[in-house]
This record gives sequence, C-alpha cells and structure tokens, in this order.
Amino acid sequence: MKLIERFIEEAKKLNRKVVFPEGTDERIIIAASELKKEKIAQPVLIGKREEIEKVAENIKADISEIEIINPEEVDYFDHLVSLYMEHRKNIKKSIAEKLVKRPLIFGGMLVASGKVSTMVAGAVNTTANVIQSAALTVGYLPEISSASSFFIMALPDGRVFFYADCAVNITPDENQLAEIAYATALNYKKLMKDTPKVAFLSFSTKGSASHPLVEKVQKAVEIAREKYKDFLFDGEFQADTAIVESVAKRKVKEVSEVAGKANVLIFPDLNAGNIAYKLTQYLAGADAYGPILQGFAKPVSDLSRGAKVKDIIGTVAITCLQT
Amino acid sequence: MEDKEIYERVVKVISEVLGVDKEKIKPESRFVEDLGAESVQSLELVAAFENEFDIEMEEEAALEVKTVGKAVEFIKQYLK
Repeated sequence: MKLIERFIEEAKKLNRKVVFPEGTDERIIIAASELKKEKIAQPVLIGKREEIEKVAENIKADISEIEIINPEEVDYFDHLVSLYMEHRKNIKKSIAEKLVKRPLIFGGMLVASGKVSTMVAGAVNTTANVIQSAALTVGYLPEISSASSFFIMALPDGRVFFYADCAVNITPDENQLAEIAYATALNYKKLMKDTPKVAFLSFSTKGSASHPLVEKVQKAVEIAREKYKDFLFDGEFQADTAIVESVAKRKVKEVSEVAGKANVLIFPDLNAGNIAYKLTQYLAGADAYGPILQGFAKPVSDLSRGAKVKDIIGTVAITCLQT
Repeated sequence: MEDKEIYERVVKVISEVLGVDKEKIKPESRFVEDLGAESVQSLELVAAFENEFDIEMEEEAALEVKTVGKAVEFIKQYLK
C-alpha cells in the first residue's frame, strides 16, 4: 500500500471537519464530494450557496450533503470578530469585520474557534496569503515564530524521509532552522508514529570544514537541543553521514543516535532543500508529498495552484493527521 | 479628495494598525524595514485602507506595495 493510501485510511478513522475557503473552485468541489463519499473527512465549503451549487451542477458533482457556510449569514459572525480582536489588539471592529468576511480569514477563524479541525486552501490564493491568513487567525505553536514546510519523501524501497524546509523559508537563520527542525520532528512523530531522528545537513561533518555557513548549522543544532529537549537532534552532517550507517561509523567518532539513521533531514537553506527534494523525486523515483505547511497552532495546509483533485485529497488526509 | 487629506488619512490608518507614532511615518517609509510591520500585518493594512476610504482594492497588487508614498498612490487610483 502506498504511503498516501495509508494516510487516507488513517484519516478515515478520525473523519475530521475540514474547511475549504475556496468553495467555488471546481477541483475543491469535486474533492469535497469525494471526501464526503469516501468518509475521509467532513468538508465545509465557504461561499455563497447559489454560486457553489451552480458550479457543482455544471460539473455534475454531488454536494447535497456538504455543509456550505456564507460568512455574511452565520449567527456566530460577531463572535468570530471579537475572537479575532482578542488576538489582534490594534484592529478596530469595523476593520476586523471586513477581515473576517474574507474567506481565508473566516476559514482560519473557524479553525481557531474550534468549529472545524483544519483548513486547506491555496488552489486559488497564493501561498503567502494562506500563510498570513493562518498566522493572523490560528497563530503559531508555542516556541514557534514563523511558518515553514516539509516534504514527505517515500522511496521505492519503502523508506520514508521528511525533508525541510524545501518551499517556504529562503535563508533561515540558526533560530529558524532550529524551529523548522522541531516542527518537522513533531510532524514526523504524528504521521509516522515513530521516533524522529533529526539531522542538520551541511557540506561539513562535525567540524570537518569551517565556514560561517557551517557555523550557522552548528548553532542551530545547539539551539534545537537546548530548546526542544523531547527530540533527537544532531549535526552538522553531510547527507551521506546522516543516512548511511557505514559512512557515519567512519566519519562520526562520538556516539550519535542520529548519524547514519536519520529520518528527518533539515537543509541549511531553500536552495539545498528544494534541489534535494526534486533530485530525490526524479533520480531516486521517490513519491514527494508536500509542501505541507507547519508551525501553526492548528494545522492549515496550502495547495499548489495547479493542484489536482487527487493532490487535494492527499493534502487533506495529511493535514487531518497533523491534528 | 485633496492629496493632503488622502495622505493624512493613510498616515492615521498606518499609525493605528501598526501602533507607531504618526511623526515617524514619512512618504518614503517602508512598512517592514522602517515601520516594523510584520508581513502578516499587510493583510490588516489592506483591510484598514479599504475600510477608511470605502473602496475595494485588488488584493495581490495591494500586497506588493512596500512604502507609505506608494500606498497613497495606489489608493488614489480607486478614488477617481
């Protein structure tokens, strides 16, 4: 069974409520009807009922049993506005009302208020917009100050690695790298139900080279170990030292529970991360699932604007398992 | 609406949303670097300008505006 199929089966057991702010998008409507039919999740579409029904009719999608919410018509709208203002002190009521009417912010407030478990958006909106809306509404996990993302790389031989950050942070500093590592470790544990072994990657192994870029990674390891004691972090490692035990034995003299056994790989910047995931996908034939957003207090996921129905369903399953 | 009035109302909104003194806000001020805006506050600024001037702006283009002076120019096109 493919990893994504396993995630979908596990998501069925939870059957979480997921909100789609882009309720009039054809792919979203088809995905919602599939999710409902297969009992993977309980979809909620945001938008005007007549507009959504018109699109659904055109594409012959059955949405008869799907919940549709128009932000302007719900009786708890004022409650969401005051909740927004509690988080965002400088914002006047009239501005908050304007913001909460926006589908992405409204969806985020449904998640923040606990009315739904997760939000999935980005089929129409930009990633930046999805991230900002989630930051304003759901906010970040304690000890996390910005959003990042990870990829799940499933290799043909059955091995699974989590890669981060391959899509959001261009030049993370040492603190951000430590946060990315922590957030990815949390997700590895939740999704894989196994112990994350987190390797910080570099072109140097344990001081074999000295350069400011290496020092940044070394500092990130220290910060992560100091701040997030629940997880195993080690580095800096070259990629082979991180994942090949025979190389690790030769190159790492100290005892390490991560060297040669890493399952979470933290890249020093977006160049490295993005290149690595694409090479793994195309040279090693791995399935790449992501980018999955992380760092928010409750899960919110972004879709690529070219996302297909199958991608949307996969993202929903993974997002539900992050709850 | 006079240019001066538009500018003053833009400054008032920025001061309220970002919580900075009006005196610190100059036409050349950049929202993030000079006025300390977090990126998430750009969505709030856009909504606040729309609310102040009773306009609807094109969101993606509005989010590209980086300085106070450019914001004034951007808003003006909706007031004609």
